[in-house]
Amino acid sequence: MPIQNPNPNKKKKKHSNQDDDEDDTVQGKQQTQFEFCKVCRLNHNQGRRHIYFPNHKKALSSFLYRFQSKFKNDVAFYLKKPMPLRPEHAALNRLWCVFCDFDILEYDSSFACGNAIAHLASAEHLKGLKSFLWKYGGGMDRMDSFRISESDFTKWEKKCKLLKSEAAGGGSHGSLIGPLNDIHNESKSEYVNSFDKNKLDCLTSDVKCSNSVVPLQDHTIERSQISHSKICTVGPQILHAGTGVGLGARTPNGLPGFFGNQHYTHSVPKEGPAYSCPNDGKVYPYEGIAIGDGHSQGTSSEESRLQTQENGGGNVHSGAPPPWFSAAEKIQLDNKLNQGLGDLVSSLGEQMKTSKLNPKRVGAAWAERRKIELELEKRGELVRHDFGADWLPNFGRVWQSGSRKDSRKEFLGENKTWRKVDSQIEKPSQLQPYISKRMRTENTAE
Amino acid sequence: MNYLLTTLTKKQEVDSMIRDTIDKVLVLCFGRASDSIFLQLDEILYKSVREVSKFATVALVDIDSDDVQVYVKYFDITLIPSTVFFFNAHHMKMDCGSADHTKWVGTFLRKQDFLDVVEAIYRGAMKGKLIVTCPLPPDRIPKFHLLYEDV
Repeated sequence: MPIQNPNPNKKKKKHSNQDDDEDDTVQGKQQTQFEFCKVCRLNHNQGRRHIYFPNHKKALSSFLYRFQSKFKNDVAFYLKKPMPLRPEHAALNRLWCVFCDFDILEYDSSFACGNAIAHLASAEHLKGLKSFLWKYGGGMDRMDSFRISESDFTKWEKKCKLLKSEAAGGGSHGSLIGPLNDIHNESKSEYVNSFDKNKLDCLTSDVKCSNSVVPLQDHTIERSQISHSKICTVGPQILHAGTGVGLGARTPNGLPGFFGNQHYTHSVPKEGPAYSCPNDGKVYPYEGIAIGDGHSQGTSSEESRLQTQENGGGNVHSGAPPPWFSAAEKIQLDNKLNQGLGDLVSSLGEQMKTSKLNPKRVGAAWAERRKIELELEKRGELVRHDFGADWLPNFGRVWQSGSRKDSRKEFLGENKTWRKVDSQIEKPSQLQPYISKRMRTENTAE
Repeated sequence: MNYLLTTLTKKQEVDSMIRDTIDKVLVLCFGRASDSIFLQLDEILYKSVREVSKFATVALVDIDSDDVQVYVKYFDITLIPSTVFFFNAHHMKMDCGSADHTKWVGTFLRKQDFLDVVEAIYRGAMKGKLIVTCPLPPDRIPKFHLLYEDV
């Protein structure tokens, strides 16, 4: 039994071998082989036309936007601030390069997103990027937003080397214990760094750290976080109540300040403001409390600190950027992408007007041209040229039988004949007396 | 005479009027000021100009001026007053039941009739039709005989 061809084009090809080449070379009408568009996830036989279709353009913009957001959030961040990658987080730190169709793993890299950065800066990636943009029509001017330039890469490498040398020199987590007092100087930046490492988990799992949507690292952390938040909000009351709100887990370290000033040993003068909550009734950021506890609990408390810092540290009082700032970046990105596409697809303000008026209306093309002309004249670019005394509008005459152009030609033709007739009539206007032939001949003989 | 609308006397004025009216119906009325029917038409037009101003422009053309004779011949204007409709420099025809679809001959019995006619033209033009049917019932359409028929 012969297998039926699902593709009717192939049937045509079978019939006439001579037409094979013609089919492929004829542009526009005859479609070519089916190909898969990675962006729209669609098999199509439109050939190169496909990339100009609006559906494809939409799909492309969202496709690139998704990659760009991952790129910006993860990779670009670590490009600016390289930090060591811990093995347990390596599994989460993967990146799929959509241009090269290649999964970048971080198992053997010492720095966060190290392999990804190396790949994005490489020449192969550039090649892949170019071919992708050519194939799917992304706009070659946006290439730089999808790759890392060599200068950035070298800067990153230098920073990594510095970090390595620092890490080799001083301890990494040991320093946490030391300058507990100085919340506001550079040691804090170390905390911030280690917190941001844990931020990895949040980001790679596409979850922004917030009170409600934190992935469970450890039961105690959650409880501690809740206890922290509760404590801070219920600050003034605790003193009076004297009961721990979920403080059970914390009693070994305690939240000393709240039960009076006896346990000030590892609390520090700078934590004073935190303990003035009850007096002022202010809800101070629980930085002090967090730091007071952190050193004893190790990583789990770091993470709790991270979360609390994210919420509490990101505060108007501490001068942190507002939480919607990251959202604003996304909005900016969105706008940029949309703008890019908008420029590709249509022209400027005229788009608004033409979309309202029916493009099929009478004289639409003429109207558009005329509008452009008038605009140019307004701007002074186009010198107004009169259309000439002989311009006639498009008119369908009463007794015409052909098209309107014909009627115009007919009229112009008629006009000419009238003019000729008029001019001919004017000639014989001079009257002369009659001179007979004899008189004339006599005159000439003389 | 005072309340005549913008009267055009030169071909160039008519040309610029036709070319500069974009996406609006242009109503060109040919006639002479001494004609009473033309004056009545002008009265009605004057009252309605403002109301149709968003989608139509109205102008009068003096038939007696020499410059405009080209247009008089081109549009085959023989009866006064005659009104020709344009949209984006394209001539709009209207079927009123008479033999001549290219123009409207005579005046309008009421202001509302004029508004209906202009609206019909505008709607047709927006849809891309070069000829529209008259929305008025036949008794409201002034009757006339085509001159020089079969000549």
